[in-house]
Amino acid sequence: MSVVTDKVSRATREANSERGKAIANILFNAGLAALFIGLFMQAGDLPSSMWEPLGAGSFPRLILGALVVFNLAIMCQSMMALRHADPALSVGAGRWFIQRRLAFASLAAFCGYALLMPWLGFALASLLFLLVVQIILGARSGRRLLVACVIAAVFGPGLDALFGQVFMISLPQGRLW
Amino acid sequence: MPMTDVLLGSVEQLFSLATLVSMMIGVMAGVIAAAIPGFTITMAIVLALPVTFTMSPLQGVATMLAVYVGGGSGGLISAALLGIPGTPSAVATTFDAYPMARKGEPGRALALGIWASFFGALISAVVLIIAAPPLALIAVKLGPWEYFSLILFAVTVVASLVGKSVLKGLMMSLLGLFIATVGQDPMMGVPRFTFGIDVLAAGIPFLVMLIGIFAVSQLASEVENPTEMKQGQALVGGKMHFQPFGVMREVLSRPGNLLRSSMVGVVIGAVPGAGGSIANLIAYDQAKRASKTPELFGTGIADGVVASESGNSATAGGGLIPMIALGIPGSAVDAVLMAALMVQGVSVGPRLIMDNAELVYGMFLAMFLAAGMVLVFCLISMRWFIRITEIPKSIIVPVVLVCCAIGALALNNRITDLYLLVGVGLVGYLLAKLDYPLAPLVLGVILGPIAETNLRRALMADENWTLFFTRPISAMLLLLAVLSVALTVRRLLKKRRTVSP
Repeated sequence: MSVVTDKVSRATREANSERGKAIANILFNAGLAALFIGLFMQAGDLPSSMWEPLGAGSFPRLILGALVVFNLAIMCQSMMALRHADPALSVGAGRWFIQRRLAFASLAAFCGYALLMPWLGFALASLLFLLVVQIILGARSGRRLLVACVIAAVFGPGLDALFGQVFMISLPQGRLW
Repeated sequence: MPMTDVLLGSVEQLFSLATLVSMMIGVMAGVIAAAIPGFTITMAIVLALPVTFTMSPLQGVATMLAVYVGGGSGGLISAALLGIPGTPSAVATTFDAYPMARKGEPGRALALGIWASFFGALISAVVLIIAAPPLALIAVKLGPWEYFSLILFAVTVVASLVGKSVLKGLMMSLLGLFIATVGQDPMMGVPRFTFGIDVLAAGIPFLVMLIGIFAVSQLASEVENPTEMKQGQALVGGKMHFQPFGVMREVLSRPGNLLRSSMVGVVIGAVPGAGGSIANLIAYDQAKRASKTPELFGTGIADGVVASESGNSATAGGGLIPMIALGIPGSAVDAVLMAALMVQGVSVGPRLIMDNAELVYGMFLAMFLAAGMVLVFCLISMRWFIRITEIPKSIIVPVVLVCCAIGALALNNRITDLYLLVGVGLVGYLLAKLDYPLAPLVLGVILGPIAETNLRRALMADENWTLFFTRPISAMLLLLAVLSVALTVRRLLKKRRTVSP
């Protein structure tokens, strides 16, 4: 695919997601507004001080109050955008996720990497993470797979050794051994 | 002692082989450390501190200054090539250097940044020598009212600078300010919004936020297109040209921008607590407002790179002004420098220039020397740094993600910081997809504690809140904050009217 075609398809994809973005913005800001109202109430219970006019809760309440106002303003803005967006051009949430499957797969691998690190240790978890992500991103056979293995070995156990031996910064060692 | 004798004494100490070698190593370490996302200049300086204990006072401080000045330029590398600010002071550099690199001009983006950094550091060193005492006196006169207003101004500037919507920009700034309130209250030590979770007791570490928001979400965006990944496409396409001397003329052909941005850097650097993270954004904003083509900012133009890089490099000299004249560190880095001098038995304060003139003038000269060394090192090594852009995304993305994990882990050696990094990265990616600008969020987190402390101090000193509007400097800063939002709203409305007549 040429660069121009790719840019065009990307622009169309972005334009088509305007309706979805507006809906997501409304839901996201409604959720945030509810959360901020709850936190605003909680901040009211924070102690005040006899030495200063503002207590521990005043500044957060000031910010949270302003945040709720902004949430409502963005919701109004998004509702207006939703009215102008053409529903026929909408790509749908499922399609939106599928279009970005590699990004979500990489983030999921990063999540797994973080969860496995206390058990496998930095060196092995990094080796596996580097290998898995490179395979997800297209290094599945031949020379690219070989390069992926070398990169995983160098930047997994290699970085662990560099930080442990040279910089004296100890990275997690793993509970399994 | 006559000034010429003092200067000669400093030159003799500074130009010894041991000092020159340690400074060169310091420059290299600073550039490389700041280029790695997650490693800040402060971390590099802290790591360098124990090494300087065995050196003479001037050699030790000169080495640390070399790390400092090198770090100022190092943030540019990852900002331009990966779109990830290596340090908070390189946030504005990503606005134009990264689009320029993506358009196939990574060499020009780097060379512009290197020269702008060099001239910025040079101008700040000159100002440091000439104006250290009077500027420090002005900076120390700022009260909590002025600090609070300065932070409001910085927050509104960044919110109106980035993204398509001022509302979303301001909301992200406020969200950052709120995140900064998690943890201990700065005045009373009361835990706030910790919900009994231990890791939140000390607050959300801003460095983890910085890496997660900028690096992880940016890297995820890089691997969205399956076609590009299948072809093993590199981060930056096109031919790489690196013509440093042609670009030097390009930088020098913008004397107004260079001088204004450097002066912004010096003045902001001289204000204790402000530093490079604010200076680069304000310098960029000022350049945009003064430009005849402000609409081109953010598309990859030279003026944006020159403003940001000269602005952040100039804070190095500016930060030394209150430290040398009054013993007040201008930033966390200056505080470490001050600690290094105190370990050597040098008392830092108003008598420093009188009691240790050779040392102080040696520091001034070390600034010049370090700026020159950074320039030489970057010009020589940049050809290799540019090769980073030729590596396929399928390799560089996972490797940088592992470096991000190291950055988060090295901070406190806590696995929970890594979990936080993953969570912040995911949220950052989704926010970016919904067109929420991420820079205001991070700036809000950094400036939140300073804003709250100063607001509360101001009201403790005098309960009359109208002082924020009646003290001239504070009023001027608040007016600038309102103007920055109003002008941006006007510009956006004008643009909307042109698009849909």
